[in-house]
Amino acid sequence: MFFLRFLAKRIVAIIITLAAVIAISYIMMYASPGGFMSTTQIATALAPLAAQDPVAYQKVMEQFQQRYGLNLPLWHQVLLYIWHSFTFNFGNSMENPSITIMSQLKSALPISVILAFASVVVSVVVGIPMGIIAALKRNTWIDYTVTTLSMFGQAIPSFVLAVIFVLIFGVVWQNVLPVTGWGTFSEAILPVISLAAGNIGVVARYMRGSLIETMRQDFIRTAKSKGVKYWPLVFKHGVKNSLTALITVIGPQFAFTVVGTVWVENIFAIPGLGKVINTAFTNFDFPLAITAVFILGATIMVTNLVVDLIYAWVDPRVKLQ
Amino acid sequence: MAEALLAIDDLRVQFDRGEDEVFAVNGVSFSIAEGEALGIVGESGSGKSVTLMSALGLIRENGKIKSGTAKFQGHDLLKMRPRQLEDIRGRDIGVVFQDPMTSLNPVMRIGDQIMESMLTHQYAGRREAFERTLQLLHEMGIPEPKARFRNYPHEFSGGMRQRIMIAIALACEPQLLIADEPTTALDVTVQMQILALLQEQRQKKRMSIAIITHDFGVATNFCDRIIVLYAGQIMEMADTRQFLRQPAHPYTVGLKNSIIEIGQRDRQLSPIPGMAPTLTEPPKSCSFASRCPFATERCRSELPALREISPNHHVACHRAEEVLAHAI
Amino acid sequence: MAIAVSQAGPVAAPKRHSQFYLGWKRFSKNYFAVAGLVWVAIFFIVGIIGPWIAPYSYKDADFLAMHTGPSWKHLFGTDTVGYDVFSQILFSIRYALEIALGATCVSFVIGVILGLWAGLAGGIADVIIMRGVDFMFALPSFFFALILVVLLGKGLGPMMLAIGVPGWAGYARLIRSLVLSMRNGEMVEAARALGASQSHIAFKYMFPNVVGSMVVSLAFGIPYDLTAQAGLSIVGMGLNPPMPSFGNMLAAAGENILGFPWLLYFPAGIFAITLLSFLFVADGLQEAFSPKGGM
Repeated sequence: MFFLRFLAKRIVAIIITLAAVIAISYIMMYASPGGFMSTTQIATALAPLAAQDPVAYQKVMEQFQQRYGLNLPLWHQVLLYIWHSFTFNFGNSMENPSITIMSQLKSALPISVILAFASVVVSVVVGIPMGIIAALKRNTWIDYTVTTLSMFGQAIPSFVLAVIFVLIFGVVWQNVLPVTGWGTFSEAILPVISLAAGNIGVVARYMRGSLIETMRQDFIRTAKSKGVKYWPLVFKHGVKNSLTALITVIGPQFAFTVVGTVWVENIFAIPGLGKVINTAFTNFDFPLAITAVFILGATIMVTNLVVDLIYAWVDPRVKLQ
Repeated sequence: MAEALLAIDDLRVQFDRGEDEVFAVNGVSFSIAEGEALGIVGESGSGKSVTLMSALGLIRENGKIKSGTAKFQGHDLLKMRPRQLEDIRGRDIGVVFQDPMTSLNPVMRIGDQIMESMLTHQYAGRREAFERTLQLLHEMGIPEPKARFRNYPHEFSGGMRQRIMIAIALACEPQLLIADEPTTALDVTVQMQILALLQEQRQKKRMSIAIITHDFGVATNFCDRIIVLYAGQIMEMADTRQFLRQPAHPYTVGLKNSIIEIGQRDRQLSPIPGMAPTLTEPPKSCSFASRCPFATERCRSELPALREISPNHHVACHRAEEVLAHAI
Repeated sequence: MAIAVSQAGPVAAPKRHSQFYLGWKRFSKNYFAVAGLVWVAIFFIVGIIGPWIAPYSYKDADFLAMHTGPSWKHLFGTDTVGYDVFSQILFSIRYALEIALGATCVSFVIGVILGLWAGLAGGIADVIIMRGVDFMFALPSFFFALILVVLLGKGLGPMMLAIGVPGWAGYARLIRSLVLSMRNGEMVEAARALGASQSHIAFKYMFPNVVGSMVVSLAFGIPYDLTAQAGLSIVGMGLNPPMPSFGNMLAAAGENILGFPWLLYFPAGIFAITLLSFLFVADGLQEAFSPKGGM
């Protein structure tokens, strides 16, 4: 019961936030000089079509009029747009009116999601052991190496790393790993590493700090006083306590990674949502742009909710509220 | 006197603080007999916890044992390899710590925490350990042991958690229980219950208890024998009765005078002026001299040795006899 | 039933240094942070004098020397249109700094105003502002920046606003928590109990704390804004060409990399080292001045 109320509250919050995001985007694009949603602006956008096929142009034009409620007052347009978005009725792209946005998302979204999740998984799998080793070997060269590498990973944005990878594997060691495309395992390696590097740094540093802090706690001394051996002490008492705290950084890291996918996809020419965002924004294809942001935002917030649920499940002290 | 269970001899412990070193324990020697309740009394920073915790290998990394022996049943704990010491901790020597709020693992069920030491030491099999845990919880006065087994520490009150701590320490029926400020973090009424519980368990199991406390009252109520530590040195060591009747060290006199006892509302409370020192050099004179009303030139230049002024009554004071005379 | 010990007695007062002095001493022991600071300082100096020492204008393409490798004439080579990469970098540093500093100022000013308002006024204003903070934290501010670029355009000023405006939430939350901790902080309570005057409390205790936390959060903010700015270029929403920027160079180099790798060595290298230096400095400041705080 308690749990259901928490869930309902969070889902309502997500819906409100997403609605606000759509409203803000819509209003901004409405007000922008490049212009959303005035008949003349759409006419300009569809000019090529008009030249080619005036009948089809007229049809598309009417569709737009009706769909976006262009004669209605702004607030009504906004509500209409929000309603369309939440019913997954995204309409057609402006740049390419024959293609539905839904079909574009269907092929692009899974790629971005796989990319983001893969890099979060890699960063956790690599970062946690790195952090544990650094913490246990504190103030040795191993620790210094891990912390310095983590700083590098954290400081250098994924797109710079991606560009450097393209330089290394596209120019120096050609044919070792592919630097463009998507679909095979080897094509995923460089993008995932570019995205994971920063997260590995964050996870490793957080894990290190957290484990060092945990190993200083009184309950570790209690466990020692019971005669618990070193490795059970480190893992059952130390790492387990640190891990629960680590879960809290996964959520923000995921959001950070999603932004990273937008960048990295553009550098490695991966046909994901990032590429869609690029073309949508540069072509002023606003329905597509808003929808892409909407979908990424929803993915991030739902993931955060799941992370919170996992946290509550793992740490008995956390109460959902 | 019965045979010594734990005999500590000339223990010296230093802590490296980077810019300087702290001399926490400076040549402490004493023993705990089988079945005895020993009180180790001192202010914070007097080295009272460090003395016993260093023998068990439970001090922080920057603490170094410089010399001494700590013979438990004839074997020197300080020379043992970590593995051997792990076998003794929890099985032969149990420890109860001060703060029950932070001394229990927050993400582990309390039942598992109690069972852990039994399983580690192969004291009992899984099933047996489970039964014994329920039994222990019951003995500790925790209602509904079966239901509580699966609870986490944050679902208990402070007093209850301290009972769980004691259950953990007693799980393998150790011969020696070290209780480091077991009641300090608790309410006064709960303090009494916990002490009574310890006393009861001690009589039932015939184990030795070493209580480390800053509370002279707790020590005199609970212990057969008391050691007073100051600046990492023993100031006075005697039977409790002797302590109450004939304190021979000015510091002990001060401690005794600073106790508030029920029904003594009119008595003048006389605190000891000054603060306990933190030694950054080994002591060359009496550490208490700066706060001592009896101090002379000799006290400020010569380190008083611990000497036996009457049978089983040891004092480290140049002017012990005069103190005795003065007090009477 | 406890030992009562009075805390009086002669205690030698240790020599007192200001918090800033102590912080600086801790900072200067951190070699990474000092090295980072040196690079950041160079970066700033180049940012100021860059346009004067640049051998070519960023607008003048040398059509006779398109995509040539590094030479004495063109230190870092030229790009596909014949722009001198060295000059482009000098101008990029200038614009990158202008945008990053401007954006950080915008975030900071909005954050301070809203944070102060929330903290001091409390009540409904506090609730609304903190809801706004939650909203901003729910999604990456990069998305908001992207949408703002659509509205504002791709000039220098618009870039500052597009990156700066969505960044207010962190500062607002920090300032609000500082205000609240000042009003009912234990330290202030203690100082007041000892009879310290209001202004004395403000300058001696609050001011260093607040400045420490703010400096640290600003130090983390600048590299973040540098990254956001280049990230916008990567998705084609960065500073309008031909104005040079690291993001544009990286994005362009990504496309032309196979033939002309020198287009990449210098921009990518300098940009990476700069961000690393900023992070080292920020990290060093955090450790030196506000061990717990930050954003």
